[in-house]
Amino acid sequence: MKLNTTFFLLLIAIVWGQNLLAQTLISGQITDQNNLPLFGATVVVLETNTGTQTDLEGNFSLEASAGQTLSISYVGYTTQQITVDQRSTYQIQLQEDVAALETVVVVGYGTQKKAILTSSVAQVDGEELAREPVLNATQALQGKAAGVNIIASDAPGAASNVIIRGLGTVQGGRDPLYVVDGVLTDNINNINTSDIESVNVLKDAASLAIYGNRGANGVVIVTTKRGRTGKIKINADAYYGFRDILTEVEMANASEYVIYSNEALRRDYLTDNDPTNDNSTFGFIPTDQVYDTNWLDEITQIGLMSNVNVSASGGSDVVKAFFSAGFNEERGVLLNNDFNRLTLRSNVDYEIGKKFDFSHRVGIQLATGTPQDYSLFTSAYKQAPIVPVRDENGAFGSSVELNSVANPVVGASNAFKEDKNKFFKIQGAFKFDYDLLEELTFTSRFSIETEYGRFYAFRDRLGLFLAQNPSNTASSFEGDLENPANTRLTVTHTNTYRWFLDNYFTYDKTFADKHTINATLGITAEESQSEFLSATRNNVPLDSNLNFNLNTGDEDDTQLNAGAISVKDRLYSYIARVNYDFEDKYLFGGSFRRDGSSKFQEGNQFGNFYALSAGWVITEEEFMEGSVFDILKLRGSYGELGNQNVPLNVLTATTGAAGFYAFGPNQDLQQGITITGTIQEDLTWEKTNEFNVGVEFTLLDYRFSGEIDAYQRTNTNATLQIDLPDIVGFDPFNSHVGEIQNTGVEVALNWKDDINEDLKYQLGLNFSYNKNEITKVTNPFFLEQLGGFINNGQYTKKIAVGQPLGSFFLYDVEGINEDGDLVYKDLNEDGVIDERDRAFFGSYIPKFYGNFNLGLQYKQFDFNVDTYFNVGNKVYNGKKAQRFGNENIEEIEFNSRYTTGRPSNTTPRAFNDVPLSSTYYLEDGDFLRINNITLGYTVPLPEDSFLKNARFYATAKNPIIFQKFSGFTPELPGAPLGSAGIELDAYPTLRSFFIGLNASF
Amino acid sequence: MKKNNLTTKLQLAIFALIALLTFSCTTDFINVDANQETESALTADRAPELVNAIYNSLLQWEMSSFAWTGITSIASDDADKGSIPSDTGADKGQLDQLDITPTLISVAEVWRGHYNGIQRANQAINRISQFDMDPVLQQRLIGEARFLRALFYFRLVQTYGGVPLIENVTSADQIDADLLTRKSKAECYAFIEADLDFAIENLPLKSEYPPSELGRATQGAAQTLLAKVSMYQEKWTEALQLTNDVIASQEYQLTDNYEDIWKESFENGPESIFEIQSRGVMPAAGVDKYSTIQGVRGESGWGWGFNTPSQDLIDTYTADDERMDATIIFPGETLFDGRQISPNVPNIGYNQKAYSSILTEAEITGKNVRLLRYAEVLLINAEARSILGGDVATPLNQIRLRAGLTPATDLSTQAIWEERRLEMAFEHDRYFDLVRQGRAAQVLNAKGIPFVQGKHEVFPIPQEQIDLSDGALVQNPNY
Repeated sequence: MKLNTTFFLLLIAIVWGQNLLAQTLISGQITDQNNLPLFGATVVVLETNTGTQTDLEGNFSLEASAGQTLSISYVGYTTQQITVDQRSTYQIQLQEDVAALETVVVVGYGTQKKAILTSSVAQVDGEELAREPVLNATQALQGKAAGVNIIASDAPGAASNVIIRGLGTVQGGRDPLYVVDGVLTDNINNINTSDIESVNVLKDAASLAIYGNRGANGVVIVTTKRGRTGKIKINADAYYGFRDILTEVEMANASEYVIYSNEALRRDYLTDNDPTNDNSTFGFIPTDQVYDTNWLDEITQIGLMSNVNVSASGGSDVVKAFFSAGFNEERGVLLNNDFNRLTLRSNVDYEIGKKFDFSHRVGIQLATGTPQDYSLFTSAYKQAPIVPVRDENGAFGSSVELNSVANPVVGASNAFKEDKNKFFKIQGAFKFDYDLLEELTFTSRFSIETEYGRFYAFRDRLGLFLAQNPSNTASSFEGDLENPANTRLTVTHTNTYRWFLDNYFTYDKTFADKHTINATLGITAEESQSEFLSATRNNVPLDSNLNFNLNTGDEDDTQLNAGAISVKDRLYSYIARVNYDFEDKYLFGGSFRRDGSSKFQEGNQFGNFYALSAGWVITEEEFMEGSVFDILKLRGSYGELGNQNVPLNVLTATTGAAGFYAFGPNQDLQQGITITGTIQEDLTWEKTNEFNVGVEFTLLDYRFSGEIDAYQRTNTNATLQIDLPDIVGFDPFNSHVGEIQNTGVEVALNWKDDINEDLKYQLGLNFSYNKNEITKVTNPFFLEQLGGFINNGQYTKKIAVGQPLGSFFLYDVEGINEDGDLVYKDLNEDGVIDERDRAFFGSYIPKFYGNFNLGLQYKQFDFNVDTYFNVGNKVYNGKKAQRFGNENIEEIEFNSRYTTGRPSNTTPRAFNDVPLSSTYYLEDGDFLRINNITLGYTVPLPEDSFLKNARFYATAKNPIIFQKFSGFTPELPGAPLGSAGIELDAYPTLRSFFIGLNASF
Repeated sequence: MKKNNLTTKLQLAIFALIALLTFSCTTDFINVDANQETESALTADRAPELVNAIYNSLLQWEMSSFAWTGITSIASDDADKGSIPSDTGADKGQLDQLDITPTLISVAEVWRGHYNGIQRANQAINRISQFDMDPVLQQRLIGEARFLRALFYFRLVQTYGGVPLIENVTSADQIDADLLTRKSKAECYAFIEADLDFAIENLPLKSEYPPSELGRATQGAAQTLLAKVSMYQEKWTEALQLTNDVIASQEYQLTDNYEDIWKESFENGPESIFEIQSRGVMPAAGVDKYSTIQGVRGESGWGWGFNTPSQDLIDTYTADDERMDATIIFPGETLFDGRQISPNVPNIGYNQKAYSSILTEAEITGKNVRLLRYAEVLLINAEARSILGGDVATPLNQIRLRAGLTPATDLSTQAIWEERRLEMAFEHDRYFDLVRQGRAAQVLNAKGIPFVQGKHEVFPIPQEQIDLSDGALVQNPNY
């Protein structure tokens, strides 16, 4: 820059000398559309090639004569040209160049121009995310990118399930890789959405291959905001809102409950083998009940959420800084369940020399939360309404004589427990760029991330024991041990760290105005490790000021300590990428990564991953001139990716509790050791290959744009469990024996138009289709793992060839017989209903999902509606299916049940058995939810106002849902073989209403 | 300009070098050490630990707890399912009704649990034989392992009939149809006898072990088990000889008070020949939920309430038989340790032999499960004598007198069977005992239990295992 300035000064001097007489001094100020001065904008007189740059106030002055043209340019803004007239001062406002901003896509280890991109990358602007009043950036991302399926939970501080282009693995890690300013990490829970400049989701092999054996699940690249040149701009945003449960399930009241339970009890007596029971009235519930408790009301409250963000951005031509602080406070709808988060960020870019740049991106998160047990929602569903919260003596109501459900208020209150979780995370990247040549840059980046978690769990065990059952006494607690553990405190500390060192060259040059080459070549190394330490003490005092202090507990050998440190996880990799284009028309790309991973055994550590891609920008052809298309591009790619996040294949010796045994009169433990299995020595990463074809278009003067992609991705060596016949006595082990395929189509369409100065609107639609299937298994001992256990001895899911992952495997209910019992289909027609009569009934993962959004701007008002939909999946009503006996039932279940006088073909008779896992509890998961409605008003401000911008807004989050599911929420994140798609102990979807203010000065 | 170019090239080279040398040795960088013990840890000095791990398998849920109780006890006429009507205990109601199918979870768990134990035993035997170590200790350890392996196989044969005999599998590649094929009952018994003969030869007497090793398999335990195995094959001479040997060893005697046998203070008592050592205090190493599943349910209770005495069992005790109250917890009873049982508990009684006075509510209570005791030696001895001819009264009356009864008037085999039932109720013996005696159908059908001759003598092979074997494993008849 200094050289350039000197050069320009020299030029000016020369020009001056030549045209001294014709020149006059003109001056002016350059501002952005908010009238903020732009510092460092370039002003050039085109005719004379003289120029200057604006100062901190945006002012410039130079010599020009009337009739000459001034060209004013600034990065990120549309270049403006004005003709010099008789005036001597000029006030020039530059418009932000939206199209220009969109043209750069962030990819792995660099950026690429969108126009010549040959891979499938979904881009989401940070502003779109910041509009969502949610804590977790992944939840804000829901519906905003085609091909990205996000199943979110509204629980305070909860993370979402993110599935990019379908699930490709069973045993391996399923989550995408997140890259925050170059730091490769597991999640972005610590990122404040308003700090995000953009999110780029890499979806096809062409973009993912550079992430090698971590690319197979997709990559989400998060770029945080950077400082802009100019005066310090301060932006403040605050919103406040309240939330409650979107859909509630109506439960039976006390009298209905009594009728139902007595019918069920009578039925049990009639069907047991003791004839003397038939006329027994023992155990019948009296009909004159005093209480009628609505348990859900008793454990919930109106949730509150507030959020304040303040950021400052500004800089000179040598230092550009961005700072932000965000504070978010959430009180959950469930009692004693909250989450608070403070985020701090400092992003600074330094120009150290004309060829040497340095930058850092540092984010800190401090969070505290009070965790709560979400099985309380199930207890509230199941607990009998005739049980009081507290009885007439003030003691907690107990149902020990009725059922095995705990009093939900005991669990929800802090009467017998106290919990606190604290998190600290720091994430930072430090980057040096050195321009070796104009076209060649060397980049070295060191990044670190470390997270500390502290978990405190205090339990008043004696208090809880006494409250659970009125007949419990202090002397019956713990079998009348001499020193019972009346209270117990467990404190757990966890730590995870990782570091990275990336060194790479970037080369970018155009030859003969036709051939452009953009290449990256480098080496990266990284390490991560995690550990935990947990300690327990008994008989810590009840005083809540003392009860997180371990030292106040018993100092005897009743404490349990545990801790572990993981194996260091290291990677050493080579990366390379080349993109070539001919006249922005014919595009070719290739990328490569060689990963050496410490996770695998020697000889199987290195893997090569690559992708090839090509594109054709048809609108660059002459024959397309004058066509309706502004841009029309075809592209395709193929590549091979890996997923190294598979279970370790180390054959460990079994020791400890699974090996030791007590001998001798004092039962002293002697160690035991054994090997309980075998392993596959050459187990490595899972290999996924992916084909992608896509078309991008913009037409009708950039008003209508769209992107359509079709893909097939195949995990060719999916890790599955091998369970040898039991006689061998080996534990199941992992082996590469499966093939999992995802095939899909993604469509994203956008229409944007300005009808006039006052009215602008935008319509967006994206939808995705994905078909998932385990296509092949090559080993006869492949374990068809069961899952979806609902804690009553019943399972609901199974993995099998020919089925999608997460499929429900159930008995098929044919109808209801004349006794009012469910009739199951005898699939194998052997006359017996047993395990062999189960069948598959679909997966919890939707086949279609998408988003429709509308944005309107009229004068000072802005209005946005965003809907999210999800079709073609199943959900299991686990809370209803988890029945043992004498739990409450849904009102509709009561009203429509089969009785002797009124047969029903939809609902069985009253019953008190553990029901089989059947299609009776399986429901359609389809839903359409209004995700967000926001109305904003921007206050017109005088030009010279201290405030530069002020906007008030109101947001309704999830105000309406249209769902087929009869439960609380069809959005049920979890593990594919675990709780995903099963409503049991799940947090309901909430609706929220917020008001907010956004101001900048 | 030329100079500039040179400098640039030099800079380039330096940077490339720095980049490449950052980690000069890639493979060193990614070769990290494991943080757990692997196969290389199994050296000669850990030989006892390999054997301890076999004992540990006796503590496992699948080996000793719910499924084993269901098959050996709930299925018999001694016990009912218990619990409450709506709690089926997965398949315990079906076991109680002998509504038995190859997909019952109990059938699968007993199979898996025992073969897991056999794997640990095989591993110990094979590894220890190859260790260079003190030969006396080496033989004793192998003897213990072979005793335990014999115990596991015997229980498998009792449950399923002939089963595949696995001696040493180290890799998945060794699995073929031959390995998966069931051997005949006779072949299995021969295998079990070889293990026990070796154990008898190499194991010390109970009194020869140092106190710190109390609980390990002894010569007496191996003799008793072999006597029982002989009895199941009606090898009466062998059964008589072995029990005579145990009696003559003077290592064991009856505990004075029958109820005391199952109290904590009498663990490894004078009558104990082999029992599972359970430690309840932390770190716990006890039989997983053994007391919990059989604990009193409901008001004043602490357990799930399964495996409850049948009315038929209760009715079989004579009024002055002390064993009834020692075996059964009745509603409203005050137990020996002062614990009050509410009169309102469901079921007519509970299994007192599974009751733990200490840590009663814990899932792992520290209850030692008595597997072989001296009373059974006397009963086998009496039964052998009743068949071969001889003094039945001496062994039998020791049992009766201890129970507070008068000397036996009936010395028939039938009478010994009845004595055996009452003496050993809830000791995982009744169902197999009836089958062994060849009168299961007759006895059970009379009590309304639908035992089918030619079918229910054995339980079905788990269906899942048959499917996995691709037909090599053949189902028992009529299942």
